[in-house]
Amino acid sequence: MLQKCVGALKKAPSRLLLLAFMASALIPFFYMTATAMTPQAFTLPYPPILFPQRFYLDNFAEAWGSNHFSDYFLNSVLVSLISTVLIILVSSLAGYGFARIAFPGKNILFMILMFSMMVPTLTNLLPQFLLIKGLKLMDKYTGLILTYLGTGIAANTFFLRSSFLSVPHALEESVVIDGGGHWTIWLHIAMPLSAPAVGTFTIMAFSNVWDEFLYALTIIKSPAKRTLPIALRMFQGQNVNNWSLIFAASLIALLPILLVYITMQKQLIRGGITDGMLKE
Amino acid sequence: MRKGIRQWEQALPFVAPALILLCMFVLYPLARNIQISFSDYDILANRITASVGLGHYQALFQSKRYLLALRNTLLYALVTVPGQMFLGLVLACLINNIRRGQTVCKVISYLPVLTSWVIVSLIFRYLFMSGKGGLINYALMQVGLLSSPVSWLQNEWTANLVLWLFGIWKGVGWVMVIDLASLQGVPRDLYEAAQIDSANAVQIFFRITIPMVRNTTLYLLTVLTIGAFGAYIHVMMITEGAPLGTTNELMNFMYDTAFSKYEFGSAAAQSVLMGLMIFLLTLIQRRVTTEMVN
Amino acid sequence: MKKLTAVLLALAMILTVACSALAETEITFWHTYSEGEEKTFLEQVLPAFEAAYPEIKVNPIRMPYEGLNQQIITAVAGETAPDLVRMDITWVAQFAKLGALLPIDEMEGSAEVLADALPGPMATTVYQGKHYGVPMNTNTTTGVFNLERLKELGFDAPPATLDELLAAADKADPANEKWLFAVQGSFNWAMLPFIWTLGGSITDGDFTTATGYLNSEATVNALETIKAWMDEKIISTSVLGEEPGTWGGIEAGNYAMVVEGPWFYSAGEAKPNFPSAPIPAYEGRSISIVGGEDLVMLKGTRHQEAAWTFMKFMLSEEAQIPMVNAGMIPTMASNLDKVDTSASPWMDAYLEQLKTAAPRTPSAEWPSIEEVLNTAFESALRGVVSAQEALDAAAAEIDALLAK
Repeated sequence: MLQKCVGALKKAPSRLLLLAFMASALIPFFYMTATAMTPQAFTLPYPPILFPQRFYLDNFAEAWGSNHFSDYFLNSVLVSLISTVLIILVSSLAGYGFARIAFPGKNILFMILMFSMMVPTLTNLLPQFLLIKGLKLMDKYTGLILTYLGTGIAANTFFLRSSFLSVPHALEESVVIDGGGHWTIWLHIAMPLSAPAVGTFTIMAFSNVWDEFLYALTIIKSPAKRTLPIALRMFQGQNVNNWSLIFAASLIALLPILLVYITMQKQLIRGGITDGMLKE
Repeated sequence: MRKGIRQWEQALPFVAPALILLCMFVLYPLARNIQISFSDYDILANRITASVGLGHYQALFQSKRYLLALRNTLLYALVTVPGQMFLGLVLACLINNIRRGQTVCKVISYLPVLTSWVIVSLIFRYLFMSGKGGLINYALMQVGLLSSPVSWLQNEWTANLVLWLFGIWKGVGWVMVIDLASLQGVPRDLYEAAQIDSANAVQIFFRITIPMVRNTTLYLLTVLTIGAFGAYIHVMMITEGAPLGTTNELMNFMYDTAFSKYEFGSAAAQSVLMGLMIFLLTLIQRRVTTEMVN
Repeated sequence: MKKLTAVLLALAMILTVACSALAETEITFWHTYSEGEEKTFLEQVLPAFEAAYPEIKVNPIRMPYEGLNQQIITAVAGETAPDLVRMDITWVAQFAKLGALLPIDEMEGSAEVLADALPGPMATTVYQGKHYGVPMNTNTTTGVFNLERLKELGFDAPPATLDELLAAADKADPANEKWLFAVQGSFNWAMLPFIWTLGGSITDGDFTTATGYLNSEATVNALETIKAWMDEKIISTSVLGEEPGTWGGIEAGNYAMVVEGPWFYSAGEAKPNFPSAPIPAYEGRSISIVGGEDLVMLKGTRHQEAAWTFMKFMLSEEAQIPMVNAGMIPTMASNLDKVDTSASPWMDAYLEQLKTAAPRTPSAEWPSIEEVLNTAFESALRGVVSAQEALDAAAAEIDALLAK
């Protein structure tokens, strides 16, 4: 009994610290939710409110019903899911190649890849757009998804490469002895052993595509095919912003990412405890 | 030579799709961008009209506003990158050590990462207001840390401090997720052995946890540095550069050059410079980190 | 029989040709109307146009305001540009300089447009002596008052002069966040109405030089006056970017007056307790700032004639009067007289204020000029340099920009 109490006391500081972290993450979020439940806020409630004055949900319904929000929401689900799957496929292959296969020129190629990540891309929009136009993929989801694959390729390869580096070599050897090649290692060892990293990667890839605005607006020309970030920007006016509506819309837009996050969560824990070992 | 070809044969199926995409979407625009940075460029005709050599670069280093933005960006990176990494790791350890409620804690910590930059920046602006409604002032005065309200956004360094706090706040959850993925790979017996040696929590943190997440740390360093240089919405929404441009950062300056003044040559030069700076910084960081850990 | 077939065939051919001529031209029009404004446009204006010109099909596309300029540039460079764009008045000179726009001076009927358009808004389309578009809708800012606060200060109605308003300064209570009035910020959109009303100026009438105007005694005095208001807490620190801002502050009773655009009234519910009136005059002047949008034709359009027809239609009564209900003020003098404000009495003050409102310096260098002005105002208000020093330096810089 006494021991238990001492144990609990010992844990108290770290629990308090955790609580402080949670509070700091939640306070702005409460402010956001409370604002979303305020009718017609053209300025943010000031002084800030953390709890809604009343349980008012009309903004959510209005947000869902305006600016083609619900149509674009579904478009976004389609584009994000397909993009995420393809991104995982292409970058995990490349990440594996850079992490586990020796080939001449690899280091230089990798350096170029790294450098390309570091140059910010303000002037890239035009060449990328002309490329998509040249491929006759304008106004097509294929063009948009290809752009998402292409523009993120360096960062995505970089991430998965660093997690494949940590997969122990010992396991690989047994596959080689059994006559398996790199394909077997990639599919049966590297990917499953890196499940926590791949899970994290999935969340990041999905939410990046889900939130992407500029390419979506540039490549997709037909209003009916637009994606959610464009609807979200439509809530922002030139002179006036109805913040309660904008916040409500953003909160709805958050749900799918949370869903992916919670789904991937199980993946993270399972892979982590059983297999994920970190070695050079 | 023949061995090299055989190796390429093996590697090609894995890396070819990525390399093709890289050339199309990244390297070609990058090469074009470097070329534009030495030229006057007519964007509507997509044509280089004149070569100006290093002109754009020289002009940048003579611009007081650019140098001020450079200083602020370097400081922002210097403060927020280690800040996010340290707090993110602490948070990951805290969450890793609890048995119940892990998922809830993770989701809550990840909320700041998921919410739009525009919205949380705006919220920060309101939280740090100096008047009676400034929540931060109110809270700090209640706790007794402040005796009178601070005009956070009206002074150069307090305004920068708010931007730094924002940067750390926005990124901690992300670092936590990455760290947690590698922490959960740390074998339990290592901790148990340390506990038998009666090492305390702080010792365990520095002797076991930090070395174990080394690979992740290198990755985080690079990616967070890139992120710190590329961030701009927080400045746009929280301070708009006020007071008097002393909180401007490189990306804001570049955005303004490209899409308010349409000086694409100069914007291209800025992006090349930024790439070089990040590249150098990353190399130094890698060297230092590797030496520290070994 | 053969003859009949031939006749039928010929008839069919004529019909096909006629039909294709009728419905052949399709023009694309980018706009950033809000959802409500778009509704008025689609339900009242567009049907009227299509009834009058059945041979032209308009394809209106609503764009988000964020990144619109990037979209225009990319689309023009990629040869996928729309025929027409509705854009902010301060963008036109810059896009004309880039070579993205077509001038309208040579087009049929442009003389009538130029003769009827209000001179302020029309001036915003000028680049190097040519007109690159037509003013589509205009707006300005006026005084917006809190009736309750006015009564506390002893006014029954919005004061007509600044002196009257300022005389009530001692009845305000800044310690309890009840200031007399507010200036929205130190940026030019918020500052210029006060600078101009107090007698200051930026350039000469032809927008060629700033020295002698921006740093004249009158402008320096105006800037010093605003700083004195701030120092004496007659206005709040919203002028430096603090809260309560003008919109939230007028509603919450922090201010008796703020200066806001017509969107304060056209967004949300009716606001009977917040009357509008022209900015209180100083020495007989009450000068606010011109805002609004122009309609421009992009280079590369294959349907110049159809696009120009649509542009002219958007200036007509059938287009401009319905849009008034969406808060858009007409730009043609002949339409202005026909505006019926009985359903929206707040509009009267804006129409009155527009008569004297001044445009921002129309120049392809406006973004740089704007930066110089904003810096000068901010540094003087913060007391980093004196108003005279700030404006001397700014005038020299703006002279150089105007000479470009």
